[in-house]
Amino acid sequence: MRTIIIGLGNPILSDDGVGWRVVEALTPTVHRPPSTVVETASLGGLALMERLEGYQRAILVDSMETGQSPVGTVSLFPLNELPNAAESHSASAHDTSLLTALETGRRMGLTLPDEVMVVAIEARTVHDFSEELSPEVEAAVPTAMQAVLDLL
Amino acid sequence: MAQRITIDPITRLEGHGKIEIFLNDEGDVSNTYFQIPELRGFERFCVGRPVEEMPLLTNRICGVCPEAHHMAAAKAADMVYHVDPPRTAKLLRELLYMAFYCTDHTTHFYALGGPDFVMGPDAPVAERNILGVIHKVGLEIGGKVIQMRKFGHDTVEIIGGRKVHPCTSIPGGLTKGITAEQRDHIEEMGKYAVEFAQFSLKLFTDIVLGNKQYVDLILGDVYNHKTYYMGLVDENNKINFYDGKVRVVDPEGKEFVKYAPQDYAEHIAEHVEPWTYLKFPYLKKVGWKGFVDGMDSGVYMATPLSRLNAADGMATPLAQEEYERFFGTLGGKPVHQRLAIHWARLVELLYAAERWLELVRDPEITSPHVHTIPTETPTEGVGIVEAPRGTLTHHYVTDERGLLTKVNLIVGTTNNYAPISMSINKAARSLIKKGSMVTEPMLNMVEMAFRAYDPCFGCATHSLPGQMPLQVTIHDAKGEIVDVLKR
Repeated sequence: MRTIIIGLGNPILSDDGVGWRVVEALTPTVHRPPSTVVETASLGGLALMERLEGYQRAILVDSMETGQSPVGTVSLFPLNELPNAAESHSASAHDTSLLTALETGRRMGLTLPDEVMVVAIEARTVHDFSEELSPEVEAAVPTAMQAVLDLL
Repeated sequence: MAQRITIDPITRLEGHGKIEIFLNDEGDVSNTYFQIPELRGFERFCVGRPVEEMPLLTNRICGVCPEAHHMAAAKAADMVYHVDPPRTAKLLRELLYMAFYCTDHTTHFYALGGPDFVMGPDAPVAERNILGVIHKVGLEIGGKVIQMRKFGHDTVEIIGGRKVHPCTSIPGGLTKGITAEQRDHIEEMGKYAVEFAQFSLKLFTDIVLGNKQYVDLILGDVYNHKTYYMGLVDENNKINFYDGKVRVVDPEGKEFVKYAPQDYAEHIAEHVEPWTYLKFPYLKKVGWKGFVDGMDSGVYMATPLSRLNAADGMATPLAQEEYERFFGTLGGKPVHQRLAIHWARLVELLYAAERWLELVRDPEITSPHVHTIPTETPTEGVGIVEAPRGTLTHHYVTDERGLLTKVNLIVGTTNNYAPISMSINKAARSLIKKGSMVTEPMLNMVEMAFRAYDPCFGCATHSLPGQMPLQVTIHDAKGEIVDVLKR
């Protein structure tokens, strides 16, 4: 089974870069192409779907703002538990949601992962330019790494 | 250890796009506010860094148009170092940029703007997306869109070194050229792009222009504003996305000003409102008169439609034919109807595809001379390109070592903050009338006012779920919230 692990986000936008930090730390241990590939990306929607082509399984590591969990909380859930914004009232300002993009790709006959798991880290700051993470988010990096390893 | 949670969509809206609609005692719209989050601290983040890092750093500002920032930054850095890149480097940068344009305009039309027309503004929300378009127009259309995007990404990768976030532009040119084999591959992909653009224009003609209801919607007053228009033009006043001078035409279509990039600060100023952190750029020599149309208001628009209005034509033959058909159908220049931005975007798609072929067929495109080594002391530079969403200006000042001391950016969408706000206001006033229930199709019609601009708030890659949700809040005359519609 070919697996892709993608750290998502913007590496120069404070806690938004946590996905990158987690997978960069994992790369030496788990990057074993072609069976397991580790990448970083600042993508969503169609472009992210296109990056998943050819894999049976995907793990996305990203920051998240729920406002409900303490900063640094690591959560794990299948992608399809995220509400699909493209099917509700106000769709994205750009592109479409990853779920809709995956559905589009499947109808086109692309080989796409049946299973997309998300490892998300509750963020504090995602609107300030910085290469530093908040202390709580920094402290959550090993937990998020372990969450990815447990999935493999 | 990781816990399993369910995400409440409402809580993810904080800090994202918000439309606030205030009603008066009669139940009519008294005012509207369109708020978008601003990313903070970019200048502080950049100061002290070497200017040659900017093409890499700035393409991280926004997940939607990194290529545009890469190009504007590279051009500004060229000027900082007083260096003129070799002809082949300019051709290659522009070629990469055309491939990006084809990808970006395609995505907007098929995934975002198009569904309103292909499915109809009243269609159920679950169908107003790319899946709905595929369902209605046919499965093969999805394949064409995916193919177009793939060819765009592949071309960007060949020239730019990476998909999506290119890394090969440096002060004085590029780090590498292309081989004859790569040229042949890019040419084949360019041929597809031209066919795809023609197909898209035919689709628009059949589905949108062939439907009287849509034509009436486009030509109607709800989405109509008379403002100034901005766009980059070449020496013949034809549209160019990569280089040239910024031309502004007045609401009657006459040239108001044409300026070189380094003179932008003489012509553009920024207005501040207490209810938003984002500033409203306006034409300095006309002045800020508020959110109003007309010759005396400094509000300008910078979009595909603005570029068509601001130029005298397209520099490629097939796009020129479409340009003439566009203005012929819509009653001459300038066209003020905002929903026509969607059609203008497709005319530009065809231009970008044709230009892609022109550039790749240039005999010098495979020349290895793609870099001029900078030898002068770095000082100051301004780089301007047309981003898909509007004129993009990067301005850098450095010390004698090339370390940044000042950074100023005017990004594509910011140009349009005032006109977008005006469009939302007018649509809300026209559609929400006293005592009427605010229905979802009605709100979608309000959203269509801002969707036409394809606004970019740098949010596309921020946190889950990787897109910008929007919240519409309706207040009564006392300011109390009477309705909140989200997602």
